[in-house]
Amino acid sequence: MQVTVKAFATLRNIMDSKFTEELEEGSTISDLLTTLMEKYSGLSDEIFEDGRRELKDFVNILVNGRNISFLNGLDTTLNNGDLVVLFPPAGGG
Amino acid sequence: MTQMDGYAGKIAYVDLTKGTIDIQETPTDLKRDYLGGRGFGTKIISDRMDPLVDPLSPENIFVFASGPTTGTGIPLGSRYEVSTKSPLNDTLMSANSGGTFGWKMKKAGFDAIVFEGRSAKPVYLYLNEGAAELRDASSYWGMDVHATTDAFLSDLGDKKAKIACIGPAGEKQSLLACVINDYDRAAGRSGAGAVLGSKNVKAVVATGNLSIEEADKDRLNAVKDRIRTKLQENGICEALTNYGTAVLVNIVNENYILPTHNFQSAHFENAENISGERMAETVLKKNSGCFACIVKCSRICEVDGVVNEGPEYEPMWAFGANLGIDDLNTVIKAAWECNKLGLDAIGTPTAIACAMEMQEKGYINNGPKFGEAAGIVELVRQIGLREGFGAELTDGSYRFAERHGHPELSMSVKKQDLPAYDPRGLQGHGLSYATSNRGGDHVYGYMISPEVLGAPEKLDPYTSDGKAAWVQVFQDLTAAIDASGMCLFSSFALDATDYADLTAATMGIDLDGPGFIRIGERIWNLQKLFNIKVGYTKADDTLPKRLLTEPLREGGPKGRVWEREPLLSEYYSVRGWDADGVPTDEKLRELGLK
Ligand code: SF4
Repeated sequence: MQVTVKAFATLRNIMDSKFTEELEEGSTISDLLTTLMEKYSGLSDEIFEDGRRELKDFVNILVNGRNISFLNGLDTTLNNGDLVVLFPPAGGG
Repeated sequence: MTQMDGYAGKIAYVDLTKGTIDIQETPTDLKRDYLGGRGFGTKIISDRMDPLVDPLSPENIFVFASGPTTGTGIPLGSRYEVSTKSPLNDTLMSANSGGTFGWKMKKAGFDAIVFEGRSAKPVYLYLNEGAAELRDASSYWGMDVHATTDAFLSDLGDKKAKIACIGPAGEKQSLLACVINDYDRAAGRSGAGAVLGSKNVKAVVATGNLSIEEADKDRLNAVKDRIRTKLQENGICEALTNYGTAVLVNIVNENYILPTHNFQSAHFENAENISGERMAETVLKKNSGCFACIVKCSRICEVDGVVNEGPEYEPMWAFGANLGIDDLNTVIKAAWECNKLGLDAIGTPTAIACAMEMQEKGYINNGPKFGEAAGIVELVRQIGLREGFGAELTDGSYRFAERHGHPELSMSVKKQDLPAYDPRGLQGHGLSYATSNRGGDHVYGYMISPEVLGAPEKLDPYTSDGKAAWVQVFQDLTAAIDASGMCLFSSFALDATDYADLTAATMGIDLDGPGFIRIGERIWNLQKLFNIKVGYTKADDTLPKRLLTEPLREGGPKGRVWEREPLLSEYYSVRGWDADGVPTDEKLRELGLK
């Protein structure tokens, strides 16, 4: 299956801003991130706490506009055609 | 005698009708109970003025006030507030601004300025090391904000003077007029500039170099070190340094809550073209900051050979997505035009958005059209000068839409337009909009922080559970931050205990986190009492009909509207107010307001 990935702000220094990714059926956000971390060195430091598979404070990942924190976290299952959006810590007013 | 509590120690009471100035010591209990900034403005106006006065009459009072941390060198301690009865919506409003003016006001010897009455001719107030003088401003009347600022600096031969002034919009008493200091820093909302215009006050000019002394320097230095580390290690503050507030365009759009076409949709196809990322790749020259700021979120951009400060996220959205315009240069030039004319850079474009929808629906036939960038900068000029079609919008969307029989198309709360977040996908932020003491507004309780960014923790934006209590804490904490002189953006990294420690060490008082928030609660309730006396009721604590009845059509929040109940009832309850939203005697006694 295929998902579209978008990356914003400082993540664009280490990865493309928009691309599609082929994944096995039933893949999760965690699987997607594993694939992306192999492709883009530095991604792990940007989004995960040191040495742990836990999102850093203020890192937000959306699937079709919904924050994964309120879906199934890193175990959120992806479907063909989903839009996955990655934000590093960012904000303002 | 130099104060040893962070304050300059004096308040100037200016009677514009008589042309006299009475300089008084800043009262100890005012400092202790209200800190400064929004607290001073709220308390002074509540004490001295009948809430029913006409906001554009001589009887209205206008206060400039800094806070105890302003200009002390505490990182992000840079702010001052203006407060008055809003001519846009009659609330007791305060608006906050940064830059260097608040610091200089204290170096000039003053914590606050209180204007009353009306001058017969244009004047400016000159503050210099404890002295205050009203001077003729006839030669500056008619000048835009930038020209006024340049002219003062040159005429006074004092490059170190700092200027807060109104532009032509304030002179024309536009209900969208703001006060601008340091060329481009706006105390932007609720029409404060029109009140100065009605009083014939063009500017306040501050100069001097009096010292600002804190009470407990050793303790303060330790707290400063702690908060500097927290600010430097905070990811959101780091992003503010890198991208400024405009980084929010893409974030909010991807959450499907970026109001588009006057809130008809919440997703803008071409958001990338008006984003902080695009700005950084194209027109950005460098970042800059307010006094003593280590975050420096402000942007310096160059468009068509012109270099200016700004714009921020809000005008980027308001001239961009909300008008269906994706031409970055037009968006930036239109926002800059607002600053030059002294116009609210949110309320001006949102009034245009309202006109565009009226045109689209056929309710008017001479208005601007969604997506058409040509003519927008000129329309802003007309709005500021009350000319041509622009004159229709000079007093904001509500009056315009009502005049044409469609007040429901004004996306406003209490006649003040909503900012850049669609509350249908943000239940807590919607409550903050509905209950804000100055009407449609995002900086009186920025629930975007937990509901979108995840600070201090992630809250589900689509649910109401527990949100009433969060909104109360955010509103009260923000009121206290606005009173302290600290920039609200520091709250991404700091908590109530940090602010209490900063304030306590500066002032030499005992204060803890809950005590700091309690000061904010006192201010909030005092504003609320004023608004009740003006005539506001529970019926006004709501959102435009569209946001209650027309579900969003795309993305995560698809199918949602803003659910007023049970949120509003819970909010009144956690506030200790009765079922009609009126503070109880018990609550007022607890806060020392009765
Ligand atoms: S964070 Fe931005 S708005 Fe706040 S004090 Fe610093 S430069 Fe000014």
